[in-house]
Order: sequence, then structure tokens, then C-alpha cells
Amino acid sequence: MAAPMELSCWGGDWGLPSLHPESLTVMAYAKFSGAPLTVNTINNSWRTPKGDVPVLISEDTVISQPAKILNFLRKQKYNADYELSAKQGADTLAYIALLEEKLLPALLHTFWVEAENYCSVTKPWFASRIPFPLSLYLPGKMSREALNRILLTKGGPPLYSLTEVEAQIYRDAKECLNLLSKRLGTSQFFFGNTPTTLDAFVFGFLAPVYKVCFPRVQLQEHLKQLPNLCRFCDDILTCYFRLTVSGHSPSGQDTADANLQKLTQLVNKESNLIEKIRLSLFLCRWMTTFVRVHSTPLES
Amino acid sequence: MSLVAEAFMNQLAAAEPWPENAALYQQLKEDQILLSDNASSLAVQAFLQMCNLPVRVVCRANAEYMSPSGKVPFIHVGNQVVSELGPIVQFVKAKGHSLSDGLDEVQKAEMKAYMELVNNMLLTAELYLQWCDDVTVEEITHPRYGSPYPWPLNRILAYQKQWEIRRKMKAIGWAGKSLEQVLEDVDQCCQALSQRLGTQPYFFNKQPTELDALVFGHLFTILTTQLTTDELSEKVKNYGNLTAFCRRIEQQYFEGHDKDNSGTAAARSAKRSLLR
Repeated sequence: MAAPMELSCWGGDWGLPSLHPESLTVMAYAKFSGAPLTVNTINNSWRTPKGDVPVLISEDTVISQPAKILNFLRKQKYNADYELSAKQGADTLAYIALLEEKLLPALLHTFWVEAENYCSVTKPWFASRIPFPLSLYLPGKMSREALNRILLTKGGPPLYSLTEVEAQIYRDAKECLNLLSKRLGTSQFFFGNTPTTLDAFVFGFLAPVYKVCFPRVQLQEHLKQLPNLCRFCDDILTCYFRLTVSGHSPSGQDTADANLQKLTQLVNKESNLIEKIRLSLFLCRWMTTFVRVHSTPLES
Repeated sequence: MSLVAEAFMNQLAAAEPWPENAALYQQLKEDQILLSDNASSLAVQAFLQMCNLPVRVVCRANAEYMSPSGKVPFIHVGNQVVSELGPIVQFVKAKGHSLSDGLDEVQKAEMKAYMELVNNMLLTAELYLQWCDDVTVEEITHPRYGSPYPWPLNRILAYQKQWEIRRKMKAIGWAGKSLEQVLEDVDQCCQALSQRLGTQPYFFNKQPTELDALVFGHLFTILTTQLTTDELSEKVKNYGNLTAFCRRIEQQYFEGHDKDNSGTAAARSAKRSLLR
């Protein structure tokens, strides 16, 4: 019997088990291969042993990158690529490289660099899950790291300004999505009817783009024009993660409930405050009348 | 480049046929050029040979600074300058020569994916070995990189480049890797290429494509360059079909040329030949 395995990763929303592409990849692979993982949502990447997310802890071993975690799971006999031929295994590596080179920069940009998206969605979401005072620092750090990565890998001449780099990375990402769509065609998964490592990686990268509601959504709009990729994400979510397809109802309801709760608490607090002010005013008045009544006038 | 600018460049490119005096610029062959730049240059030369387009190789010490993108090699065709394999392939296609026209959509997707694999793993591993492995940096890279320049410029330029590359490695997560892990990645990449190639003559069966040129450029350079250790070339030699592939392309596209011209001279610059 394999030792119990625990995965620490960022939590999810908008119908996804996690918002972080790499965490999502590992969770999807675990579902495909039947590995029994207990998932811990962390609220702070500094709590994990090496500061990387996701992290797999099994007895004494701590493993931190998706490729290494998947290797470890395969060695524990949880192998989703069992039926692949050698050539298909090679194709898997090649397509993963394509995803990392062409799609990842645009994904990082949409989440962490695009000002409207970052300020209205990403930063509040991560800040609400990280305890104060780290919530003031960590999202900014993650944003700077994302921008750094994009500029260092894609930002050399002849692209001299950030807008040119952005245009280039979105063009590359859209081309990558087109290539993935052509490769998937009409089949259910990339290599036939059972999902494999490549499906886990593609799902991990595509699902956040597909589901998260951002104000600036050019990548999402392009993805929605490729129905086979959308169907691919929805299938995995319904079959392996047992979440509703629309993704809006449960989490939408949850956020509505949470908002209502916060509002009631605020109202309660305010009413408490008003009560306290009234009470203190009453006490003051009482004290002054008491003093006035009971103070003896000085008799001349 | 915006879409409009790209369309304009393609129009310009399509207007003229390939001239006789096209030139490919790279760093000095004997003393200055490094493993990764040599690989990229050989890949472009192989591609142009496969398209039957004549080009002469010009070696300049400041090729890197002349290039529009800061990377070598670059080609000077007519009055246009294009650098790196990707844009060169597009440019050549605009002139009406293409190696991948016969592929269907799925095969084109596969070809692009494998080219990204080579860039992502092999090229990054070469850069890591050259600039992040202290022994290689001390003995080979620093002396070679700054060799055309006087002291102290040679040291300054070498350190500047090293700092730039190490920053990039840190951003993509390779800074924490050990040499063994990098060699393991190279092995994985070669295994994938070997499995994809199988027993075919080229990656897409009968006809060579830009993927064949790219893989040849990198593998041939790794096999024929003397470094401080042989570990990198041993990883490639483990796969017989890859060495046979390199030999086949060398014989077919580089052997029949003049001695003072492109490929064979570049191939012999590292003082070893596959055909012993």
C-alpha cells in the first residue's frame, strides 16, 4: 500500500478546483491515474517547504515541480501513460514544450500583468486567501516575477516596448491554441479515449483561461471560438472533478452568499457601534444630570 | 512586429527573387563562436541548403551586435536583414520556397511542437552548459567570447553576457538545476527525438523540413565540439539513429561544397568529423 500523499496547492473558484495552472495539472493527472491524493489548499506560498507551489509530500519526500511530481507518481505505479507508444510519449514532451513556450507567457500576462485584470480579479482573490500582512506583499511579488519572466524570455529586440511584446505573446498564444485544436480534432482526448499526461497539462493551462471571469478577455474569446477545446475542458471537469459545467451557479451562489454574509456582519457591526454610541451618550447625559442633581450649590 | 508591418515585409520579400550574393553572418569560426551560436548558425545553413538557396558565410567579430534581434545568425538578402531560424523560414517562404508545404495541419502542429522542444530543452541546456557551469565558463566560454577584443573589454563583455544569461535562467527556473539534471533533460529530449525519428530518413518521412535542419544543427554541433567533458556528446551518441541522421545530412548537403564555403568548413572547425 502506497504511503499517503498530500498535495499543497492554491485553491479554486469559478468552478475550478484550483486557479494555478501547475496545481491544476497535478490534480488532473492524479485523477486520471487514480492516485489517492489529499489536497490541501494553502493560503501562503511561504508555508510550503521550498516556497514552490504545488508541492507533494509523501512521508519524508518533498517534491516540488509538476514534471517531477508526475514522475514520482509514475514510479509509485500511478501511470496514466501506460498505453502510449514511444512516438506518442515523444509527442507529449514536444507539445508540453509548445505550451510552455507559446501559451504560458500570455497566461501569465492575462493573470498578473494586464492592469485591469490584476487589480480587479487576481490581486483581490489571492489577497483574500493570504493572511495579513503577507497579503500586501505576495501578490505584488508574484506579479513582478511574471512580468520579469515575460520580458526576459520574450522581450528582446526587435520588440522594444511592452505593447509590442504583448502583441507578440498574444499572437503566439492564439496560434498555439489553433495548433492544439487541430491536433485534438474530434477525439475525446489527445491520444484516444483515455486521458494522459498531455491532457493533464493542456487542461491545466486552458481551464483557467476558459473559466475565470476577467474584464480583459482576448485569449478567452479566442478559446471560445475553438469548440473542441472548450468541450475538452468541460468533459474533464464533469467526469473527473464532478463540478457543474456552467461553473457559475455553485460558485456564483457561494459568492452571493458570502457577500450577503459580509454585508450582514457589517450591518451588525454598525448597529453594534450605533448602540454603543447611544449607550455612551446616555451614560454621559446620566452622569451630567447626576452630577447636577447631586451637587450641592455653593451657598454663599 | 505588428500584423501590418509583417504583411509589408512579406510584400517586399516576395517582390524580388533570391539574389546570388546573399550572405549569412556569424561570429569568427575558429576562435570566437560558442556552442549554442554555432548550432543556430549551422541549422540556418542546413535549412538554406535544403531549399537550394546559395548563401555565403561571412564571419565578423561583431555579428551579434549587427543582428537586428541581437542573436546570430542573420542573413543579408537584397536590402533586408533577417535573424534567427523562425523569421528566416517565414522570409524564405514569402519568397516562394518552403519545405513544409507538403505537410497537413496536424503534421505542421507536430513540427512546430518539436521545434519548440529543441529550443526549450537543447538550446537552453547548451546555454546553461556554456554560461552557468563554472568549469566550462572559465576554460572555454570567457576566453572565446571576448577573444577579438583587447583587455579589459573582453572580460567586461563576457561578464555582461554571463549576467544576462544567468538572469534568464533564473526566470525560467533553470538556475536551481545541477549539471546532472540538465544532462538528464538533454537525454530525455534526445530520446523523444530518436523515438519520433524511428527508422525514417527524415522526421516527416521522405522530405526534410526545417525541423530536420534545426535538429541537425544542434546535434551535429554537440557531437563535434570539444568541451571540458564528453558527457553531452555521449548523451547524443547513445541514440544510433540520431548520429546516422546527422551523418546522412552532412553527406547530402555539405560534402559536395567548396572547401572555403559554408558547411564543411564549419563542420571541421571543431577539429573532429563524424566520418572517421
